[in-house]
Amino acid sequence: MKKLISLLVSAALAVTSVFALAGCSGTKGSGNEASNFKVGAIYINSQNDTAGYTYAHHHGITEAMKKVGLDPAKDLYIVDNVPEDDEKVKQAIDQLAGNGCNIIFGISFGYLNAMDEKAKEYPDIIFSHATGYLSNDKNFNNYFGRIYQARYLAGIAAGYKSLALGNNNIGYVSAWGTEYAETCSGINAFAMGCMAVNPDANVNVYEIYTWGDQEKERQAAELLIDTYGCCVIAQHCDSAQPQIVANEKGVYGCGYNSDMTKEAPNAHLAAPVWNWDAYYATAMKAAMTNPATFMTEVGNYYEGLNAGLVDVSALSANCEPETKEAVEIAKKMMVNGEWDVFSGVKLSFSGAAGSVTVTKADADLLKDDGSVIVAAGGASVDDGVIQGSMDYYVKGVTQVNK
Amino acid sequence: MRKYHLVRRADSQLRRTLIFYAAGILISLAIGAVILACLGINPFEYYGRMFTIGLVGNRYGYKSIEGLLKIFVPLLITSLALSLSFKMRFWNIGGEGEFLIGAICASCIAFNSTGMPNFVTIVLMCLAAMISSGIIGIAIAALKVRFNTNETLMTLMINYIMLYVIRYIGDTKAPWNFFLREDSERPIFGSFPESAVMGGIPLGKFTLLWSVLIAIILTVIVYIYLKYTKHGYEISVVGDSSATAKYAGMSVGKIVLRTMFISSALIGLAAALTVSSAGTISDTITNDVGWTGIIVAWLSKLSVPAVFVTSILIAVLQYGCQAAATQYPAIDVNYADLLQGIILFSILVADFAANFKIVRKEDANNA
Repeated sequence: MKKLISLLVSAALAVTSVFALAGCSGTKGSGNEASNFKVGAIYINSQNDTAGYTYAHHHGITEAMKKVGLDPAKDLYIVDNVPEDDEKVKQAIDQLAGNGCNIIFGISFGYLNAMDEKAKEYPDIIFSHATGYLSNDKNFNNYFGRIYQARYLAGIAAGYKSLALGNNNIGYVSAWGTEYAETCSGINAFAMGCMAVNPDANVNVYEIYTWGDQEKERQAAELLIDTYGCCVIAQHCDSAQPQIVANEKGVYGCGYNSDMTKEAPNAHLAAPVWNWDAYYATAMKAAMTNPATFMTEVGNYYEGLNAGLVDVSALSANCEPETKEAVEIAKKMMVNGEWDVFSGVKLSFSGAAGSVTVTKADADLLKDDGSVIVAAGGASVDDGVIQGSMDYYVKGVTQVNK
Repeated sequence: MRKYHLVRRADSQLRRTLIFYAAGILISLAIGAVILACLGINPFEYYGRMFTIGLVGNRYGYKSIEGLLKIFVPLLITSLALSLSFKMRFWNIGGEGEFLIGAICASCIAFNSTGMPNFVTIVLMCLAAMISSGIIGIAIAALKVRFNTNETLMTLMINYIMLYVIRYIGDTKAPWNFFLREDSERPIFGSFPESAVMGGIPLGKFTLLWSVLIAIILTVIVYIYLKYTKHGYEISVVGDSSATAKYAGMSVGKIVLRTMFISSALIGLAAALTVSSAGTISDTITNDVGWTGIIVAWLSKLSVPAVFVTSILIAVLQYGCQAAATQYPAIDVNYADLLQGIILFSILVADFAANFKIVRKEDANNA
């Protein structure tokens, strides 16, 4: 009897599936032939998130699709919540390839191996991988941006605030520290932005050792304010908790990823943000025009303020009056390629609102242990250092929980 | 003062059971359909894609079948293994942990197998995984036999211990750590050398992995083992009553140790086959089979042929849910998981309703 029952479960399941199949057979495939270009995306979280990393990419992809004349409701195929597990990523790619996607974006670093392998298996599909370092010369590129430039600008805003408050201690809640170039280059650029305004500024980093944990982010911000007396809290982590804490405790802050003024109306100054649609539109256009020339047209993509890929959010009313001019000056210098953050030339801003001036001076770029990274007057470090091998803090940065 | 009473139905009718199951599934699909309709999606179209695992209009349909089989094989073997221990009333809920230790040990061999013959490597991987998982299983069984510890707690804890072990391996960049990709600044699991990747029988473009054949053969062996051997009989006697078994002169401790070893070793084998066909390892390599396997085993009432069929259906459900979600940008995996949960829950309720009825107290007295 038991066996019978269990066979019945199976039979019932099978029968239902046949019913459902019959129900659909009339509508299958509708809409698929309408447009011929399809976009595939593999997300680490859900496309229905309302903030954070996946949200930023999904927003970028859908905006870019509208720009290039595609319909995100019809031409976009998504496999979401894909962990950094080669087998699951490969299955996701097979799904997207099977649905006829012409370009597949993978947004998380751990998709590296699978995308590399599958790019060889599907030579007709363009594979595009964020934050990675692998590529080939036919159909597989990587893309990321100079977010450190936007962090430098946020640093300027923080520097003016600390100057105005007469408090040199600035806090920074960071997912990781010197383990990842992505985090420490951001911390360094932010600190250099602060010091361009307030040469005595000291950036106190609290590392939470995870990419996202709201409770830890909150505690770190509380500690930086209560114990280290920080007057501005910057962050490299997923949620707005550090800004909310700054708001509660009556200090100031710089968010990340999105304009966090709405979460912390009395505290937030300006946040470094990504405009991923700048890249996605470029990539889609190139793939739609001629996939064969994708790697020569787009190639490995690493752009910054110049391409509009990164920026600072609108400066809030909490900013000091000088901030706007200084940020615009620095931004202009980076956009036209006249100056970049990690070089042997130091910027200093001076003057009151309405007459802010910048001075360029040759100066050694120093590590926190005093050794020289770039000699005075030297050119910027290689992009490879900023993206991959940077594993130190510059002078002026202290990690409080090492 | 209870007014209502649960009474086991005296008879177990085939027709009634069938109707209850069908009703359960239809209700769950109807709930899902309401949500889909609210999102502006045609539920019939969605379910059609789901139950055909997205094969309709798929350019690489054969890859979907390969993907489905990769989900099916570990689920089948793990469910069989769990059924073995459940039959003995040994609550082995450590499938995840036993799977992971097997996967780790098999990967140790795989990552160091460059240049070795493919067949030898895979056999070694299977042996390493079976022995390591088997030892964990037998250790927990020994604690139970010797000190009467609670096997549910012990096996549950093993899951978390092993999960953190593999996370540690995956997050730690160090010279000893051959699991990771060497050229990467960030820690990331590497891929196995060719020698450790499982092949199969090519049927046109489709490749039938050896692991599928192994899983089918194993099903037959486990069926025969439980049904026609002395060991199989002993397992069911211990499960019914260990006192009876003792009275009949069986060495209960030995039977528990032996069965737990076989059960865990089978899970280890599933792990070796999985990592070998994936060509890599990760902390999500189990695909939750240690948990899903428990559901499969109980839905099948621990019957081997039913485990086989139920594993196929659950694999189709899992794969189909994801395949359908891919085709709708508004639908994410959370919906797919929700629907799976509703369907499984409804089946369990239907099963309960088919075997029990609720009666008013007076009626119960009159009956």
